[in-house]
Amino acid sequence: MDKTKAVKYQRPSLARTLNQNKTLILMCVPAIIFFFVFSYMPMPGAYIAFTNFQYNKGIFGSPFIGLQNFKFLFMSGQLTLLLRNTILYNLAFIILGNVLQLTFAILLNEVQSKAYKKTTQSMMFLPYFISDVLVSLLVYNLLNYDFGFISNLVRNLGGEMPKVYQMPNAWPIIIVLVNLWKGTGYGTVVYFAAITGMDSSMMEAAQIDGANGFQRIRYITLPTLKPTVIILFLFAIGGILKGNFGLFYNLVGANSMLFNTTDIIETYVYRSMMNSFNFSQSSAVGLFQSVVGFFIVMAANAFVKHLDPEYALF
Amino acid sequence: MKKLIALLMMLMLVVCALPAMAEVDTSEHVVITYLVTGDIPNNRTDEVLGKINEILTEKVNAELAIQWIEWTDWTTKYNLALATQSGDIDLIGTATDWLNAWPNIQKGAFLPLTEEMLQTYAPNTWAQVPAENWELCKYNGEIYLMPEDNYAQWTNHGFLYRGDWAKEAGLENGVNSWEELQVYFQYIKDNKADVIPWDANGNGSSYAPQMAGGWQTSHTPNIYIEGIGVDLFYGNSKDDPYTLSTYYVEGDELVNFATEMKEWADAGYWRTDVLNYTGDVMTEMKEGKTGAHQHHTQTWTGERTNMEEKQPGSDVGFFWFGKEQSNVIALNITHGAMAVAMTSQNPERALMVYDLMRNDPEIYRLMQYGIEGDMYTLDENGYIVRPEGWDDSTMGVSMNFWWGRNDQLELRSAKTDWEAVDALYAEYDAVKVNYPYGRVVFDLSSIQMYLDNLSNVYNTYMPRITFGMVDDPAAYVAEFRQQLKAAGIDICMEEIQKQINAAYGL
Repeated sequence: MDKTKAVKYQRPSLARTLNQNKTLILMCVPAIIFFFVFSYMPMPGAYIAFTNFQYNKGIFGSPFIGLQNFKFLFMSGQLTLLLRNTILYNLAFIILGNVLQLTFAILLNEVQSKAYKKTTQSMMFLPYFISDVLVSLLVYNLLNYDFGFISNLVRNLGGEMPKVYQMPNAWPIIIVLVNLWKGTGYGTVVYFAAITGMDSSMMEAAQIDGANGFQRIRYITLPTLKPTVIILFLFAIGGILKGNFGLFYNLVGANSMLFNTTDIIETYVYRSMMNSFNFSQSSAVGLFQSVVGFFIVMAANAFVKHLDPEYALF
Repeated sequence: MKKLIALLMMLMLVVCALPAMAEVDTSEHVVITYLVTGDIPNNRTDEVLGKINEILTEKVNAELAIQWIEWTDWTTKYNLALATQSGDIDLIGTATDWLNAWPNIQKGAFLPLTEEMLQTYAPNTWAQVPAENWELCKYNGEIYLMPEDNYAQWTNHGFLYRGDWAKEAGLENGVNSWEELQVYFQYIKDNKADVIPWDANGNGSSYAPQMAGGWQTSHTPNIYIEGIGVDLFYGNSKDDPYTLSTYYVEGDELVNFATEMKEWADAGYWRTDVLNYTGDVMTEMKEGKTGAHQHHTQTWTGERTNMEEKQPGSDVGFFWFGKEQSNVIALNITHGAMAVAMTSQNPERALMVYDLMRNDPEIYRLMQYGIEGDMYTLDENGYIVRPEGWDDSTMGVSMNFWWGRNDQLELRSAKTDWEAVDALYAEYDAVKVNYPYGRVVFDLSSIQMYLDNLSNVYNTYMPRITFGMVDDPAAYVAEFRQQLKAAGIDICMEEIQKQINAAYGL
C-alpha cells in the first residue's frame, strides 16, 4: 500500500467508530431490537400473499398461487375511489398536521411561564390516548340529528340542524378535524423537543443584534427545524396508502351514505372480507400498500437529495 | 321397540368401548386447553374450574385450562388463534354457521377424528350421536366435529316487544305480522313520549342482515343457506330446497321491503342516524326507553323474566321471523360443535376430557351451574333456584360450553316462564323443518374473489335498504341489483347451485 495517500482523509475503521459512539449505540439498541423483531423478522412472512394459505402446512408449505390474491382489489372497480380517498386524507393529515404541530411548538417555545407550558402540553397530548371508539361516541353525541348536543343547541337557538350523518361532503372536514385534534399534541412534542435541542447561542446572538420575535422565528427557528420537518415528512409519506382503520371505521361504520367520501382501502377490505377470513388476500392488500409506499419514499428521497443532499434520509 | 333396540345398541357400544378405554395410557398428567369465545369472567369460574380439574385429574389424569377469545374483535382473534396454533390449544369450540367451521376444516385447522378414536376416547359421545348426525360432521369422508345435537334450543330471530303496550294498541293477541308490528310501533310513536318505538342499533355488521333476512323469511318461503359468508343465498322453499332463490336478483319482494322500511324510517320508528347508533337496545328496553329489540328466541326466554322485574307487567312477547309463512328451520346440529386442534399434543386425552364435559353429570353441572348447595339448590320440581340477590356476572360460573350441551343433564331454571316458553317451542315444533343443507360443504375457493366483492356490495347497499335511508326505494334496489350483477352474483349462484346439485345427486 502506498502510505503517502493515507495522509489525506482516512475513514476511521468500523471498530473505532463503534468504540467512539458506544453510548449512542447502546441507546439505540432497544429501537434496533424493536424494528428487527417487529419489522424485519416477519418480512419473509409476506410470502403468504402469494399462497393459498393452509393452517396445517404453514406459510412456506402452502401452495403458491402467484398474483391470484391481488386480483380482487383490482377487479372491484372501486380502486380509483379508494386510492383517491386514502391519499387525499393522508395528504391532509400530513400537511395540515405538520403545519399545526410546528405552529404550536413554536408558540409553546415563546411562552415563558413554565407551569402554563407544561399544562398546555399535557392537555394537548391527552386526546392522543382516547380510543377511536370513544372518539366516535363523542362525535355521535355531538352531531346526531335527534339528540346531539350541537343539534339541541342549534334548535334551541331557533336554527335548523342539518342531518350531518347524511352529508357525505361534511365528513372529510370532520375526519380531518378529529385527526388533528388527536394528533397535534403528540407531534407538537416532537417539534418542541427539536426546538429545545437548538443551540441557544444563536438565539442570544440574534437577540443582541436586535432581532425581534418574528424575525427570530423566521430566520433561526424555522431553518433549524427544516431537517426535522423533511425527515418526518419522508417517514409519513411512506404510509400514504395506509389508512387509519380504527378512526374511519368507528366514525363512519355501516353508514354507506358517506362511503363516497370516507371509504378508504382498509374499510373496503374489511367490508369485503369480514366473513371469509382470508389471511392471504388481506396480506396481499397490505403488501401492495407497503410496496407502493416504498417506491414513493424512494422517489421523494431522491427528489430531496436532488434539491439538497444534506436533507435526504439516505 | 325401536327405542329398546337403540338402547341395547348403545349399551353394546359402551360395553365394547370399555375394554379399549381401560388400555388408554393416562400415566402422564396433561393440561388440555379449551379455546372458547367470551369475555374473561369475573365470577367464580376459576374456583369451579379447580373443582372440575380435581375430578378430571382423578378420572383421566388431565386438567382443563380455558383460553378466552374476548368479544372485542372476536372473529379476527378466533381465526387468528386457529391459524397460528402450535400445540397450544387442544379443544376448540366451533360452529358451521357463526364460527366458520367448514372453511377452517378446509384450511386444516382441525384434526380429523377416526371412528376408532371416538369409540375409544369419547365412547359416550360416540354412542349418543346417531350415525346420520355423524354424517353431517364429515368433510371428505372424515369426521371433524362433535355436534351439539342433543340440546333443544331456538336461535331464530325476531322481535321482542312489550305485551302490555301491544294490548293498549289494540293488538289483543300480540304482534303476529309485520303489519301488526307497524301498528305497534305507530302506537308507541303516537302515545309514548320519549320512547323510540325501536331504537335500532344499525351500526353492527349483523343487524341489517338479520332484519333483512327476517322480512324475507316472513314474506317468502325461502330458506337461508349457511356457510357462504354473504347473506345473498337462499333456497326456494321446504318443498323445493335445492333450487336457489332469485330474491336478490329479481322480483318485487325486495322492492316492497325497501319501500316499507322507508315508510317506517319516515314515520320515525327508529332514530334518524340509526346507521351510526351503537347503543345497547336491551338495556334501553329495560329502562322503558324503547319498545322493541330485534334478537333471537333464546334471548327472549331469559329477558322475559328480567323485563318483568324491571318493567312489571311488561309481558314481553316474541314475534318470530317467518311466522306468517310458518317458515322456521330447526337449528342445524352444528350450530355448536367441538373440534380437536390440528396441532394438539394430546388429542386422545382431549377427547376423553370432552366426553366427560358432555356426559359426566357431576362435571356437567359444575360447568353449567356451579356448586350445588352453595351456588344453587333444586326445588321440588327439580328446577334450579339461585340464592337471594344472585348476580351471574359476579357470583356464577361461565364456561361458555356451547359445543355439546346435553338435555339429559340440563336443569331448568325456576325463574324462567316455562309456560310461555314451552308454548312457543310447541308452536315451532309444529311447523319446523330440519336444516336441509347439512350435507353440503361448500368449496368456495373458485368464487371467493366474487364473494368478497359481493360482500362489499351487500354491506354497502343493504343497511340503507333495511333502515329506509333512501330517497327512491325502487331505484335504489335496481342499482343494488345492478351492482350485484357487476360483482358476479350470477357466477356465484351458478357455482353454488352446482355444488348443491352434486351433494344431493340432482
